[in-house]
This record gives sequence, C-alpha cells and structure tokens, in this order.
Amino acid sequence: MRLTWKMSIASMKMFFRQKEAILWTILLPLFMVFLFSFVSFDGFNTISLGVVNRSNDTAFVSAIKSVKALKMYEGTYETELHALTEGDRVLVVVLPPTFHPGSSDTVRTLLNARKPQEGNVAALLVQRVLDELTFQQSVQLTRPEVIVETVNSRNLTYIDFLLPGILSMSIMQSGVFGVAFGFVLLKKRGILRRLLATPMKPGDFIVAQVATRLIVLIAQVLIMIGAGIFFFDLHFQGNILNLLVVGILGGIVFLAIGFALSGLSKSEDQVAPLANIITLPMMLLSGVFFSRSNLPGFAHVITDFFPLTYLADGMRSITIEGASLVDIGGDLLGLTVWAIVSVFLAVKAFRWE
Amino acid sequence: MLSDIVLEVGNLSKRYNDLHAVHKVSFDVKRQEIFGILGPNGAGKTTTLEMIETLRSIDSGRVILDGIDVSKEPQKVKRLIGVQLQSSSFFDKLTLTELLLLFGELYSRQVDPIKLLQEVELKEKASSYVAELSGGQKQRFSIAAALVNDPVLLFLDEPTTGLDPQARRHLWGVIKRIRSEGKTIVLTTHYMEEAEELCDRVAIMDRGTIIANAPPQQLINTLVSNGFKKDRVERLANLEDVFLNLTGHSLREE
Repeated sequence: MRLTWKMSIASMKMFFRQKEAILWTILLPLFMVFLFSFVSFDGFNTISLGVVNRSNDTAFVSAIKSVKALKMYEGTYETELHALTEGDRVLVVVLPPTFHPGSSDTVRTLLNARKPQEGNVAALLVQRVLDELTFQQSVQLTRPEVIVETVNSRNLTYIDFLLPGILSMSIMQSGVFGVAFGFVLLKKRGILRRLLATPMKPGDFIVAQVATRLIVLIAQVLIMIGAGIFFFDLHFQGNILNLLVVGILGGIVFLAIGFALSGLSKSEDQVAPLANIITLPMMLLSGVFFSRSNLPGFAHVITDFFPLTYLADGMRSITIEGASLVDIGGDLLGLTVWAIVSVFLAVKAFRWE
Repeated sequence: MLSDIVLEVGNLSKRYNDLHAVHKVSFDVKRQEIFGILGPNGAGKTTTLEMIETLRSIDSGRVILDGIDVSKEPQKVKRLIGVQLQSSSFFDKLTLTELLLLFGELYSRQVDPIKLLQEVELKEKASSYVAELSGGQKQRFSIAAALVNDPVLLFLDEPTTGLDPQARRHLWGVIKRIRSEGKTIVLTTHYMEEAEELCDRVAIMDRGTIIANAPPQQLINTLVSNGFKKDRVERLANLEDVFLNLTGHSLREE
C-alpha cells in the first residue's frame, strides 16, 4: 500500500514535469474548444418566434411570416413552450380565441429569459405588426396590447454540445496513447526490466500507473468543466460527481485498451498506427464534434456500440441535461461491458518484456 | 556464520530453439572478490547473469546465492542482490535523489540518497535528471541504484562499455572502493585490460561455455609457460598510455 502510494506520487511528479503531457491532455482540448467557440452553428441571426394561434384569424400569422427578421414556427401551447424552454424560441406569441385584428384583447407573449435582447426585439416587431393590422382594419384607436412574460430556459450553444465531447475524446486519447506509448518506452529503454530485478510486485506497479492516470483524468474533467463555465459560457446542469463516475469508467476502458496495445507492439512505430486505427473512427463517428443524428442508418448500427459513443453521450447528458446516473444507465452498462472486455484483453495481451 | 562461497553456479543452461545460449556453465564466487566473466559479444555472459539475477528462467542447472536457491526463491534472492543492467535506463523527470528514494521503497528501505551518491561521486548531481548525465555518470548512478538495498552481491553487466578511457578508469576506482567496503562483485566485460585491472578471478566464456577460469595472472603464466610468444616485442607503453599521458587522467564529463 505504502509502495503503491509512493509510486503513484513519483509517477504524478513525472507526469506533471512533462510539458508535452500537460499540453496534450489539458491544453490541447481546451484550445480546440476555444477554436470552435468562434464557429457559430447557432441559427445565424434569425429570430425564432413561436405562434400559438387559438383564434380563427389568419391575417396576423401571414403578416408575421412576411417579416424577414423573424423565423416563425406554429404549434400548440405545449410544444411551443417546450421549444422555448429548450432555447429554440426567443419569444412565443399566444393569440387568444377571441383575437382578431382590431380587437382590444391583450396578447400574451412568453419571453426567453436567456435571450432578452432578441426577445424584446421580437416583442416590438409583434406589437408593430399588430398595430399595422389594427389600423388597416379599422379606425379604432384601441389596439391589442402585447404583454411580455419571462420564461426561464436554457439555450444550448455549440460549446455545450462540443465540450463534453472533447472531454470524452481527451480521456480516450490520454488513456490509449498515454499508456501504450508510455509502456512501450519503459520496455524499450529497459526501465521495466530494471524494476523487475527488484522485489517490486508487478501488480503494484500497474496499480500505481492506473491510479496516476485516473488522478490525471479527474484533473482533466475538473479543469475542462471549470474552464468551460468560466470562459466558454458552458451551461453545466449536472452533478460533477456523476460526471467523474462516467469519466473514470470510460477511463478504465481506454487505459485497458492502452495496456493491451502496449503488449501487442514492440516499438513506438508499431503503437502509433494501432492506436490511431482504434481511436480515429471513434473520434469522427462517436459524436464528439457533430451529432450522430446526421449519420446514415447503417453507421448507427456500428457507432452506437463504440465505447466513446457511450462515454460522450453519457457525459453530454450529465453536462447539458443534468441527467442522473440512472438516466444514463444504458451508457453506463455499455461502458461496463467494454471495461470487462478490454480489461480481459489487456490481461491477455500485456507483456512485461 | 558466513560461508566463503557467496555464489555457486552448477551446470547452468539456457536454450533458444537450437541455440545453446548458455551450456553447462559452472563457477563459484567467493565473498568480497571481484569475479569477471569475459567474452566476446554473444558469448552468453548477459544470459548467464540474467538467470542468476532471476530475470530469465533457468532451463537446467542450479544457482545457489548466499545459501538460497534462485529458481525456488527468486523474491528472496532479489533482496540480496544489486543489479546494474546493460543498456537499461531510469525514469525521466525524477531527480537522482527521487529515483534512489523510490528504489529504496521497492526494497521497503529508507535510504540516504546523498550517501549513496557520494559513494559513486555524484553528490553534486543530486537534483539532476538522468538524461542530463554523461555516459560515465549514468553508469555510476546505476551502480548507486544497485546499492540501495545494501546487497550481498553486486552484478555489473559491461559497466564500462562505451566510456572514454578517463571515465573508465574513474569507474574502476569506484568499483574497487565498493569491494573494499565489503561487497562481492560479479562483472562482465569484453575489455581485457579491465579484467586484468579489476578481477581477482576471471571466467572466459565463448559460445555459451566457460573455457577457462582462474586468476588473470595465472592464465597468463599458463599461456607463457606453454611457449606462447607475442608477435611483436613487448613495448613499454601502448597508445592508450600515450592518450592518457596527453589528455590526463581527470574526468571530462561536462
């Protein structure tokens, strides 16, 4: 126990004294998030307005449609309210059953609390459209008044989608590449052999290595989420402990894959292609950068079962939906199966020399 | 009671398919002597050493180290020996002090890193990384690491290979001093002058077998008494003497 502890401390020192390692595991993922934060995939400046039409009037709807700055959606109260709370509308207009242009009924609108500026612009536009319709229809000086209620919502940005994805990806990369390269080098340079000449139990060494990597993983998660909240306006909804649980489970899967690879390869030259063959498809197809919903059906059959898909989906559900561990039970189950399979493979493939 | 024989190797053999890497090798090592295993590359020196060090399985034969059978109790043997491996390295990004403390932990020992570094004249490098050391300093450090458990027997596998004449002579001095402090040393080399300078007894190995085993002077005497004559007249100095005379004996490591 003392030895494992001492060895973990020593390998932590080694890790954090290696500038490249910090660059790869912590700074590079953050830099990627930073780069992508300039790319806006969030509805290019059109203001999305929901209309719940309970009246027989059609003039208002067609007038709103002609306003270029607005993108109009029509739906029931429930669907539009849901869309608003999901951040997909800035304002929802509710036309009462008695509504007609020229009526003096008030028109209720629901404003997205996270987008007050766009919402207020939308509300002004709605008021103007109503005014114009009213004056066209009659000479009355009463007009329907727009009242605005604020509704809390969460507006997910691309960063909210991306950050948990990149976090999962960096857990995969540091697990697979870190361990596979690390151990091949330890073998090649005779360091493992030298250790085997001491009374050290090989298992202790592995435990210390895994412990070190998991501590680094925890740091990765905390730093990424922290930087996300402070610098990238991440809407973190979940429980950080849940996130760590999924992260560690995923970390075990990828560490085991790393150990297996280090057993299969004799030199760094052999590790690199093997590690890339395993990680690249997951990086591109597990929904790290883009939603997997755009993938064709046959691709789903395979990518649904990638360990990185489970990890990224799980971390994303916790981060942006505030999911509990029960909610992401399917992802946890998938990761657990992968953990069992990959640890088994690691034990079979791993070689000390 | 201490027995005079620290290491007893009997009919030690190792085969790789058709190759007899080590074939029926037998020798004894006495307490506090420097025993050399000499031979060309590929003679089986390292394989022999690694079987004794528990790093390689023994096909047949036996090794008794300080009364313990190596193939039966390898863990006990590991605690008794200090090992310097050929071309093995140490972790990056740990200082010499931290490495020695960590190696001490592997033997559950609290070590005094500065004392160990003093032993091999590396005290001033205590907070350096191994990567920053010269070839001779690296070899001396690996001897320090081999001493953390205060071993009964120290194994040095080609400790001076690749070193310049000054660094080699310096290392000889370190090895002799360690022996004078009570350690028994087994080393391999393919430098004859090294064996002659350091070893009390040498075993000459070729193609996996030991073909001679005696003190160096005795081997030379036997050869001469058999009528051997050098082609060239014995010179009073050789080129290495010239080199050392011109460049001095002091170390050039930085």
